[in-house]
Amino acid sequence: MKPENPILAGLALVAGLLFLSPVLYSIWMSFQTVDAYYAGELGFTLDNYARAVGQYNFARYLLNSLIVSGLVTLIGITFATMAAYAFARYSFRGGNFLFAATVATLMIPSHISLIPNYLTLAKVGLLDSYAGLILPAISNGFAAFFLRQYIRGIPKVLDEAAYMDGATSLQVLWRIIVPLSRPAIASMALYIFITEWNNYIWPLVAVGKQDLYTLQIGLARLYRINPGEGLIDWPLVMAASTITILPVLLGFLLVERHLVRGITMGAVK
Amino acid sequence: MSGISLRDIRKAYVNGPQVLHGVSLDIQPGEFIVIVGPSGCGKSTLLRLIAGLDRCEDGTIEIGGRRANDLAPQDRDIAMIFQNYALYPHMTVRENIAFGLELRGMKKAERNERAQSVAKILQLESYLDRKPAALSGGQRQRVAMGRAMARNASIFLMDEPLSNLDNALRITMRTEIKELHRQLGATMVYVTHDQTEALSLADRIAVMKDGHLLQFDRPDVIYDRPANRFVASFLGSPPMNFVAADMLPGWTGPHGLTAGLRPEILSVHAEKPSKAALPARMLLSEMTGADMLLHCESPAGRLTVSASRQDMPKDKEQFWIAFDLDRALFFDSENGDRVDLSVAMQP
Repeated sequence: MKPENPILAGLALVAGLLFLSPVLYSIWMSFQTVDAYYAGELGFTLDNYARAVGQYNFARYLLNSLIVSGLVTLIGITFATMAAYAFARYSFRGGNFLFAATVATLMIPSHISLIPNYLTLAKVGLLDSYAGLILPAISNGFAAFFLRQYIRGIPKVLDEAAYMDGATSLQVLWRIIVPLSRPAIASMALYIFITEWNNYIWPLVAVGKQDLYTLQIGLARLYRINPGEGLIDWPLVMAASTITILPVLLGFLLVERHLVRGITMGAVK
Repeated sequence: MSGISLRDIRKAYVNGPQVLHGVSLDIQPGEFIVIVGPSGCGKSTLLRLIAGLDRCEDGTIEIGGRRANDLAPQDRDIAMIFQNYALYPHMTVRENIAFGLELRGMKKAERNERAQSVAKILQLESYLDRKPAALSGGQRQRVAMGRAMARNASIFLMDEPLSNLDNALRITMRTEIKELHRQLGATMVYVTHDQTEALSLADRIAVMKDGHLLQFDRPDVIYDRPANRFVASFLGSPPMNFVAADMLPGWTGPHGLTAGLRPEILSVHAEKPSKAALPARMLLSEMTGADMLLHCESPAGRLTVSASRQDMPKDKEQFWIAFDLDRALFFDSENGDRVDLSVAMQP
């Protein structure tokens, strides 16, 4: 397809490369040996990936991150969609207060809740477990707010038509609202997934067992790997970083179409 | 087939005005009822109450002899066609038609067969795999009808289903709805503000205004013997002329009445005719096809006359408008109620 404006297309390409350059540089670096890297020479090796996965347990960290982020996303988006549907469609006593409280959670910095969450989970004995990593993240006020606004844009007469067709409230949600909210749900799912994937502080606080480390914790520990003379093994760190960003990139590519629609919907609807 | 009985239905929205003030209606099984009235008169609210989409504060709704006030919409055996069709945009025509059947647990092969047969009746067979966005307004309307038909419900509710269609399509669809009623024999309650739809479709018409039921009767009765001046003015196109009866030539009846003269009972004459007539001059004329609508000024007030083109007066400044007083209707000028009066007037 020929670009409509070659100058604009050229500028876009330059801007794209500029944004992409740190990522490309880190990927390039991940294939260098540490000696070649510090000597300023060119080289190629897959050893950094082999070490990250074999020696430094990154396969396990990747699995942990996938389990934690996947479950947080699945449970979080389910709760957010159900809450959004209730806020958008039902009038009930205290509904406005509950919605205001949900929105108010957006104003609380996440670090404020760190200690109460820690104490609560310590009390119920859920620290050092997947549940301890997942539970504090499954309620997401922003997702509930965002989806509520989207659902309010879906004509209510569709719900009514479904009720007349014999649907229950849950069937209306599942068969009508969810399919029609797919762009917004996909955007929010990706948002929750990325947020949880990049979460560093909570796993650091909640988990002590190495078997439960997520990628971010594992990555931070790699800075301590010393190839000598106080140097950091950057090629190894970059190989681990590449492993860390790959699932997110794949996820983005999968839902990119929905994500763009979700972000722009407010502007064009 | 189920009948519907509404007893003293009252409804007010939260922090809003009273929408219905004690409406009572008895709809027989298999009847085609049209609820007609101006915007905001409560006709759609009444339909939503029958459907179960809203709840009334007071009164009783019976469907098929069973109290239905507390029944959920899905338990009332009612199908509804909405004003803007309310088709599910993410489903194909086939899925839209079969959705209600799927929710009732019908097997896929069976519901597809039903969707196919309904689509055949509505000439939608070639559109079964299309999404609603790829259909014209008329086709969408048919899908909405198909969705209701597939369910084999005993009651059909229709909320101004033709109001989004162009005039030609509206006339075609009107005939199809009439035919559908004949085929299905189901009870149908149809809401519209279009008096032509009301008169042409209904077995009985319910005329509403400001949340009150003004008259509920056969179309011919409502047209010929309207309960009051509002009903008389609402049904009939062009609308009825109203003049003070005292201003009519040779009037010997009681005072304080308003005469209602439908445009079709008036006739135009170049010379003073032998029957009752008023001198008039033409203000403007409209061509409606074979006929003309003449808007005239007379000593009794403004009159609209429906006349054939060849009857157009040559002298537009001076001609006569004649009428049969025994075809005129009379209303109390104070409260608007129709007064039964048989007066033989001579010029």
